Amino acid sequence: MASVKLTGVKKIYDNKVVAVHDFDLDIKDKEFVVFVGPSGCGKSTTLRMIAGLEDISEGTVEIDGEVVNDLQPKDRGIAMVFQNYALYPHMSVYDNIAFSLRLSKVPEDVVYEKVTNAAEVLGITEYLMRKPRALSGGQRQRVAIGRAMVRDSKVFLMDEPLSNLDAKLRNQMRAEIILLRQKLDTTFIYVTHDQTEAMTLGDRIVIMKDGYIMQVGTPTEVFEMPNNLFVAGFIGAPQMNFINTKLINEGGKYYVTPFGVKLPVEGEKAEMLAAKKIQTRDIVLGVRPEHIRLAKAGEPAIKTKLLVNEMMGSEIHLHVSTEDETRIIVRTPTVDLSKEERNAMVAGHEMNITFEGKVMHFFDPESSENLLV
Amino acid sequence: MNNQKRHMGLKAANRLSNTIIYIILIIISVIWLLPFIFIVFQSFRVESTWQVGYVIPQQWGLQNYINLWNSDFKRWYLNTFIIALASAVLVTVIQLCMSYTLSRFRFKARGPLMRFMLILGMFPGMLTMIILYRVLADLGLTQANAVPGLILVGVASSGMGYYVSKGFFDTIPKSLDEAARVDGATRFQVLYKIILPLAKPIVIYTILTAFMGPWGDFVFARYVAMGTSAGYNVAVGMYSWLTNDQISNWYTTFCAGGVIVALPVTILFLCLQKYYVEGVTGGAVKG
Repeated sequence: MASVKLTGVKKIYDNKVVAVHDFDLDIKDKEFVVFVGPSGCGKSTTLRMIAGLEDISEGTVEIDGEVVNDLQPKDRGIAMVFQNYALYPHMSVYDNIAFSLRLSKVPEDVVYEKVTNAAEVLGITEYLMRKPRALSGGQRQRVAIGRAMVRDSKVFLMDEPLSNLDAKLRNQMRAEIILLRQKLDTTFIYVTHDQTEAMTLGDRIVIMKDGYIMQVGTPTEVFEMPNNLFVAGFIGAPQMNFINTKLINEGGKYYVTPFGVKLPVEGEKAEMLAAKKIQTRDIVLGVRPEHIRLAKAGEPAIKTKLLVNEMMGSEIHLHVSTEDETRIIVRTPTVDLSKEERNAMVAGHEMNITFEGKVMHFFDPESSENLLV
Repeated sequence: MNNQKRHMGLKAANRLSNTIIYIILIIISVIWLLPFIFIVFQSFRVESTWQVGYVIPQQWGLQNYINLWNSDFKRWYLNTFIIALASAVLVTVIQLCMSYTLSRFRFKARGPLMRFMLILGMFPGMLTMIILYRVLADLGLTQANAVPGLILVGVASSGMGYYVSKGFFDTIPKSLDEAARVDGATRFQVLYKIILPLAKPIVIYTILTAFMGPWGDFVFARYVAMGTSAGYNVAVGMYSWLTNDQISNWYTTFCAGGVIVALPVTILFLCLQKYYVEGVTGGAVKG
């Protein structure tokens, strides 16, 4: 049970490359925080600095109020699960899980109890006497988690634990990590490059790019109010559509004019624009694929041509092209379309689309920042 | 039909080439083995201590081995064994620690140090003989004290032979070290609980090479002992039997000595050879 506090944490490598810039974050006790970002964004480096596997160039890391910068990994009260499992290949599953307990001279009967308990929770009891090489990827990852579980650590660190698993297993293990979290009831820091994992697992998400924090917030916050273009594009799949256009303020009423079509901004978004007294200006308009729909007759609509129709099962992703050849992705639930409509959707099919005015995002083209934040 | 014929033809060609290969291999192995068999036979021959015109002895006996026992051979053998064993232990420890350090730690002098040792290793060791003798002589480690002297020389430069084991350590995923360190292991525990068991083939290789070097050493051992029998190793000692005035009396004893010298190395190899091929890293990380 512990809080983790990072203050001005910086990582500068010997070759002067700065991997992490002034990282400030306060992780509360029992919180599940996910670091997410593309490769090379510094998320793993930050996690490794918390673990003590990487020196901290500047700033401090506190675990439970104690500065741990100069403590060895073993003295920080952490447990860690690695991307590639990092099981000791010459030891049986039992010995792998028991390794840390034996190092700290725990009596053998306690070791037995803890290992068998962990194995039971993870469903690997029957593999305890096997060597890691005789296990499948999913089983190995369970062993790795078991090894971390028995340590009774204050903070549980996970470095892309699911990236080596196939898609089906990944979904299954994701659910198990959520269950594990409920059982362990401890502080989790989880690193991933997969925004779905971040959204489903995290109480809070830290989105990183090039060593900087782009945004910290709950999954809903980062999805509904992304700080900038990067976050907007990174969170959500398929990716948000970005269109360079104008925001028009007509006596307090707001419109956007993508591809010369005047669409109204409505609801909360319009109120927020008004509250910020934003005048007519150039913007990057962000529209999520699920917030684009087929225009009804008589509605102002953008003319497009269908390029690709991706049938995903429960939903359909339509890649369309406007008259000036801008690509837009539209996501529509399969049930919303009649069979005739679906059959008509072949490449070249002409479609009139419109954007939902209540859920548009407005970004500054120069700074990429969200105008409403 | 045609196909079948071709198939039969291929089979016959295969069998022919295999037969030729086996014949060549048998000839080569006979050529290889003959000297050893010859030496073993000579060592049991008692009718003459000098060379004879045949291989299989007319009279068999252990006289040559008894002669060995009654000569200085015991002393030389013990000397060699002490040198080889001490070197094997110390060289293995130092070399593996060195390799682990160079494989896992990052420090400023790492690159220059490795290059420096690589270049230094390109000079033949013989170049250092004169100055090393001087140093050993000043330390009083020559002639009758050649044993500790030879151990010192063998062990002193052992760190420089880091390449092979460092190369092997480099293939063991670093995340295993990290996992062990998070699990509570010290750097040293990581080395001997995780890395060494995984690097068994290379540990065995290091022990064998560290043992074999001094076991068969001649030039340097002769130089350091400088004619004092008490400081000889087996190679130097037995060579003293091969001088013109000695050889006719000691020839068969020399052969018996050769057999005794070959024994421990042969046993060592037989015991340890399976580790050479044993790969143990499977299942460590993904894959």
